[in-house]
Amino acid sequence: MSEQTNTGTVEQKKADTTTEVKESVKITAGLSKFFEQVADFSIFMGRYFRELIRPPYEINEILKQCYLVGYKSLGLVGITGFIMGLVLTLQSQPTLAEFGAEAWLPNMVAVSIVREIGPVITALICAGKVGSGIGAELASMKVTEQIDAMEVSGTNPFKYIVVSRVIATTLMIPVLVVLSNALAFIGAYIGVNITSDVSFPLFFAKVFEALKFSDVLPAFIKTFFFGFAIGIISCYKGYNSNKGTEGVGLAANAAVVTASLIIFILDMLAVQVTNTILN
Amino acid sequence: MKKESGNKIKLGVFVATGVVLFIAGIYFIGKTKQLFNTTFRISAEFANVSGLQVGNNVRFGGITVGTIEDINIISDTIVRVDMVIDEDTRRFIRRDARAIIGSDGLMGNKVMNITPGTPGQPEIKDKDMMLTITPVSMDDMFATLKVTADNAALITDDMAAVFDNIRSGRGTIGKLLMDTTFAGNLDKTIINVKQGTAGFNQNMQAAKKSILLRGYFKKKEQAAEDKKEEKQEKKNESK
Repeated sequence: MSEQTNTGTVEQKKADTTTEVKESVKITAGLSKFFEQVADFSIFMGRYFRELIRPPYEINEILKQCYLVGYKSLGLVGITGFIMGLVLTLQSQPTLAEFGAEAWLPNMVAVSIVREIGPVITALICAGKVGSGIGAELASMKVTEQIDAMEVSGTNPFKYIVVSRVIATTLMIPVLVVLSNALAFIGAYIGVNITSDVSFPLFFAKVFEALKFSDVLPAFIKTFFFGFAIGIISCYKGYNSNKGTEGVGLAANAAVVTASLIIFILDMLAVQVTNTILN
Repeated sequence: MKKESGNKIKLGVFVATGVVLFIAGIYFIGKTKQLFNTTFRISAEFANVSGLQVGNNVRFGGITVGTIEDINIISDTIVRVDMVIDEDTRRFIRRDARAIIGSDGLMGNKVMNITPGTPGQPEIKDKDMMLTITPVSMDDMFATLKVTADNAALITDDMAAVFDNIRSGRGTIGKLLMDTTFAGNLDKTIINVKQGTAGFNQNMQAAKKSILLRGYFKKKEQAAEDKKEEKQEKKNESK
């Protein structure tokens, strides 16, 4: 009886040890995969900058991508910006009214939109719309061997596909942010006028009175980084997809998730850097 | 080809709108910070700037005419504030104009207010040093409030002692309000006074009828009647 119990305990211990080993192997494999990806991504970035400088420049493809990334996203980004301004104003108004500080509503809304909400929300929407599009497009090109066909035909696929798209996102996201901010101000103006009566010149005088160059310029500069992050991550995920048709969906998904996460990390770094420089 | 050029135009309009809005934004922000106007500089020295910051507004007659450009500590008791003011307002600011640090509302930013000065004086020049008025800081206000509060505490202590005395029936007012025997005595006194005045009335009636004083009272009655008649006659004459 006691021998049976002993054997049972030993087997249990063996099973536990096997599970632990399996777990540690999994973690090690996960970690090594992560570092492999980091290395791959660094090489990808290095190649991007090399190809960026080296002629010939695919101007027409860059313009086409700018049109697709910028102009085609304007509707979505514009509506979001407008609603953001309107809702932010309506939500802040009761709290400010409690303190008798309703007159500060345009100032508060202006600073919130320009510094943080405008750039981050626009970048997140673009990560969703543009990032998933680029990820899926490049992955399907990879799956259908179009990229290989380009190489065979003598076109540099990296330059034609990746560089043009990353340039387009880097340049178009800031423009989208400016337009989205402008529409958010119009939304905020309507929001203010729902509850009280503020004239258009007074509202905008207050908005520009509240803003400083130290609010606008760092916020504008960081949008270039957001655009670059969306472009390079989506292209990396799509260009390196290798699981057949299943990989297309995975690449699109990974592009959105990673780009969104990187946008938040970049935003946090931008705040820290701006505060350090300005103080 | 046609579609491509159409797309290019759309892209051009899109980018141009974005760039124009951005430049307009920068221009309007710069305008509020007096970046594009012709300006002149003046300075003022304070012992305490009460949290005034670079970029805060300078107001003249309640209108924003400039901004604070720089704030530097000159010595242990002097802080120098440099201001950039719109050139157009220079002709209204006199040499004896004074600068005072104020606050934009209860929760607002600090502002520098400039008082106009005397009309006969010459106008202020570029890089002039302004006269100042020491601002009343919140600390000063709290210090004054503390003295008032201390005095109020002493007064309330004294009042508490007075009311304590009244409550325990000490002193005139205390006895008046709290002592029941005193109230009883007061009642009795009033009853006595009433009885006294009734007795006095009887005495007076008796005096009027006595032989010794009857003549005196009659004369008085006669004089009063004469006066009445005189008044009546005067009234009739005036009519």
